[in-house]
Amino acid sequence: MSGRFRLLPYQVGVFAALVVLWQTMTQEKWVDPFFFSQPTAIAQRVAQWFVSGSIYRHLWATALETVLAFLAGAGLGVLFGFAFARSPAVSGIFDPYLKIANALPRVVLAPIFTLWFGLGVLSKVAFGVTLVFFIVFFNTYQGIREVDASLLNNTRMLGASERDLVRHVLFPSALVWILSSLHTSVGLALVGAVVGEYLGAGRGLGYVIAQAEGTFDTTGVFAGMTVLAGFTLAIDFIVTMIERRLLSWKPAVSQTARV
Amino acid sequence: MKAGVRTPSHPDAPPERRADVALEFANVGCRFAVAGRTTYPALEGVSFTVTRGEFCAVVGPTGGGKSTLLNLAAGLLRPSAGQVMAFGQPVDGINRSAAYLFQQDVLLPWKTALENVMLGLLLRRRPLGEAQAEAHRWLARVGLAGFETRYPHQLSGGMRKRVALAQSLIVGPEILLMDEPFSALDVQTRELMENDLLTIWQEERKTVVFVTHDLEEAIALSDRVLVLSAGPGARVIGSHPVTLPRPRDVTEVRLHPAFVDVYRAIWQGLRGEVLRAYATRTPGRAEAPRA
Repeated sequence: MSGRFRLLPYQVGVFAALVVLWQTMTQEKWVDPFFFSQPTAIAQRVAQWFVSGSIYRHLWATALETVLAFLAGAGLGVLFGFAFARSPAVSGIFDPYLKIANALPRVVLAPIFTLWFGLGVLSKVAFGVTLVFFIVFFNTYQGIREVDASLLNNTRMLGASERDLVRHVLFPSALVWILSSLHTSVGLALVGAVVGEYLGAGRGLGYVIAQAEGTFDTTGVFAGMTVLAGFTLAIDFIVTMIERRLLSWKPAVSQTARV
Repeated sequence: MKAGVRTPSHPDAPPERRADVALEFANVGCRFAVAGRTTYPALEGVSFTVTRGEFCAVVGPTGGGKSTLLNLAAGLLRPSAGQVMAFGQPVDGINRSAAYLFQQDVLLPWKTALENVMLGLLLRRRPLGEAQAEAHRWLARVGLAGFETRYPHQLSGGMRKRVALAQSLIVGPEILLMDEPFSALDVQTRELMENDLLTIWQEERKTVVFVTHDLEEAIALSDRVLVLSAGPGARVIGSHPVTLPRPRDVTEVRLHPAFVDVYRAIWQGLRGEVLRAYATRTPGRAEAPRA
């Protein structure tokens, strides 16, 4: 623990130096504050949002979209991952389509989702799902394929049916892989939500930033980014907690090689 | 050797089956597909029987199909020829009367010692409380009381083997199949485990098929040593009764004069096979696929 906090003064120092530099450069008009805004102005704007409470409905919208996109994407990913890993026929037929879908830059789907699902929560969730799905899918697939055959045989000998195997061996094994990618997949769910909002919405952090940009309100854009960064850190913290709880059985340090 | 006193749990078994035979291999062959069209015969014409309550060791050169033999007895593999019978019934699918102690670490890493031990009972749909109580008893029996909440990675190799032993025995198998279970342990731990195994076997009188490449271990533990020839196409080339007195201590029994006699008799047959296995295994050649 002491090692973790040893670098803290330096980390804070870097942040302070950047902020001071930024503030000085804009205050002394070395660069135009219209384009670059000012740390003090940004801080004021963020404080004002929270004091007036106007930001909460946007935060709530983004949080809701992120969570829904993650749950739906992860659920579908696990389902398809299992189907692909357990059935050679399914993986054989759908493999090329999955590769094509994964190769497609997902942003191009945003307009079509807006047409299909409107400007509300649903279109952002759909967009987030396309991002989360593949991460979870590939990890589930890998997790199930990597299960040690002797682990399966031992559980079979103890009397497990195929369904018991899924519950006691395959799913927990896949879960390790899914959880190891949790930070990435939750991050992508958030990206999906914010980009979706940015491209067309009535609320959400992406919408706040897009609105500010539309009125050349640089302070608003930076303030939106600041809130978004804080929000991302909070989500990442929650993910770390969940991960620690679900993987409590794992060795603290990297796992020693199994013979 | 005393036959088991418990009545077999196969009410629908035909009346003509021999009640004293736990496991029977009748002219069993097993082939594996190797890359391309060729097949590798791991076993060929293997015939033997194991009596109920008998501790039977199987020795043979490395890569000689010993694990294959156990996998056939467990029902994890199907024979390509002949028949495997357990208590007079052909083994079709998983052999429900057998438990298997693997060479590898096979405890589920995401379950605690207690959860691993009670898994077999839960899979048999026994109530949780009952399964827990039973698992507590078995962990105490293998000397691991107080380690219930540890995860496998928090246990030593010997402790993991003890948990695995409790996990196999808790379901009350008639036959215990063991595949070099102690080969990864250090010598001291190994002798402790062997003695504990003998104590438990003495109390439970399970039928045991114990595969090992260590002839001394085989003699020290068993009532009879089967010798397998070198592969490909391994066969049973010897069956040697071991009449050393019981209860045994695996360290003490090695000093018994009869131990040396048995060892010499078996080694004479085994030695040629070991040399043959060594000679035929040229570098780069594919080894027998393990099931």
